[in-house]
Amino acid sequence: MSCSMAGEEDFVLEEKRFKQYCEEFIKRSQQIGDGWEWRTSKDLGDGYLSKTHYQVRNRKIPPDLKEKNHDNCEQMLCTHVEESLDDSQAAGVCATEVIHYEYHVLYSSSYRVPVLYFRACFLDGRPLTLDEIWKSVHACYQACLLEGPWDTITQQEHPILGQPFFVLHPCRTNEFISSVLSSSRKHDRHINYITLWLSTVGPVVGLNLPMSYAKLAPEQDTNDDSVESRGEHGLRIA
Amino acid sequence: MTDDKDVLRDVWFGRIPTCFTLYQDEVTEREAEPYYLLLPRISYLTLVTDKVKKHFQKVMRQEEVSEIWFEYEGTPLKWHYPIGLLFDLHASNTALPWSITVHFKNFPEKDLLHCHSKDVIEAHFMACIKEADALKHKSQVINEMQKKDHKQLWMGLQNDKFEQFWAINRKLMEYPPEDSGFRYIPFRIYQATTERPFIQKLFRPIASGGELHTLGDLLKDVCPSAITPEASGARLQTTEPQHICAAEVSVKATRSTNFLSDAGSL
Repeated sequence: MSCSMAGEEDFVLEEKRFKQYCEEFIKRSQQIGDGWEWRTSKDLGDGYLSKTHYQVRNRKIPPDLKEKNHDNCEQMLCTHVEESLDDSQAAGVCATEVIHYEYHVLYSSSYRVPVLYFRACFLDGRPLTLDEIWKSVHACYQACLLEGPWDTITQQEHPILGQPFFVLHPCRTNEFISSVLSSSRKHDRHINYITLWLSTVGPVVGLNLPMSYAKLAPEQDTNDDSVESRGEHGLRIA
Repeated sequence: MTDDKDVLRDVWFGRIPTCFTLYQDEVTEREAEPYYLLLPRISYLTLVTDKVKKHFQKVMRQEEVSEIWFEYEGTPLKWHYPIGLLFDLHASNTALPWSITVHFKNFPEKDLLHCHSKDVIEAHFMACIKEADALKHKSQVINEMQKKDHKQLWMGLQNDKFEQFWAINRKLMEYPPEDSGFRYIPFRIYQATTERPFIQKLFRPIASGGELHTLGDLLKDVCPSAITPEASGARLQTTEPQHICAAEVSVKATRSTNFLSDAGSL
């Protein structure tokens, strides 16, 4: 990742601004039915973005040991709950696993960035290990996103719930966010920090943002009531 | 800092006499004797209990042994909290030695982080140091250090070497003469009674008028229920007193590069 150019201010995300971006993000999520909501903690009034979803996995069990291609034995197909299970289950026995995923976005006041917490478990409550979660990330993401602006995924205590979660480290978040945001401001385009950040880091851990988060300029969207610069026909990520 | 060396040493060398007993449902080939150990307040359970593990594994069958975990009166103990904090939080009102139960089965996945190796403890410790420096110095001091300095901090802790640790830590405890303190004070306030594990907020060491903030100012600001008995109401009626382990506010005394200070509990 390139360093900030001289004269480019480093964008600092204040907590209030984080909450505003989250509010905007949730509005958009509600419009497209993406399932994000805001959770407020009762004691201190801070909060976080939250999304849960279920994933159905078909694990193929070979009918007999004479399987020529050994790769098929451990094949795992990920499908969304809405999609129908495909024909691959016709050959051999299929074990269906349902996995419950939880994603939380919290604000780190120490680093002034959002942080992604996540965990997954089977329906019987058994949690997935980091390895098992990693295997469910689409193969192409595994390769190219390993180049991304983050360090590692570790297990940590959730700062509000006090339970073990996996966390994507915020180390170089500000680098890549700053450069995109400052260029967008130069062109008077509004970009939602959360949408930008989540669409970049989410896929690493199996969290995808539908393309609907990106929408056309306000002239084409009569439902939009946020302040926009007129005459800009560029793509606006709300 | 140097006049506080006595306090620094007292904090570093603080110990808690502990009695480890194997959980009664664990299957053993012989009777398991309890194991006694003086635990360093500033260290971590999984870092200092190799001997405890060896002792109990001697009377167990190999297949019965998986990841070790500790529990006090039914509460799983979070190994990633400093030992002194765990004691202050759960057992400071009880008689010594501190009685901890040892488990090798049924790891409580919903409560405890896994600790498969010393590397995990090191990574956690260093993450705390780094976050504290992000608050104190915008990460400038920790980032300017070489990897070997980071290693020295960890080795000092692991091997109980006060001088080795403080040779590096003192740099993390300094600030430029023109400043009157750190940018923000790294602190965490733990309460056994809340779901939220700790309170952590941005807090400056200097008030707007230029006076140094005190611990009382900090508590009033971030945890007022701790000092106004009227506000905490029913809690005073319970048998267990509201217990807060306050971390260090002033710059002096302690290993406040990490979040916890053992300046004592309130």
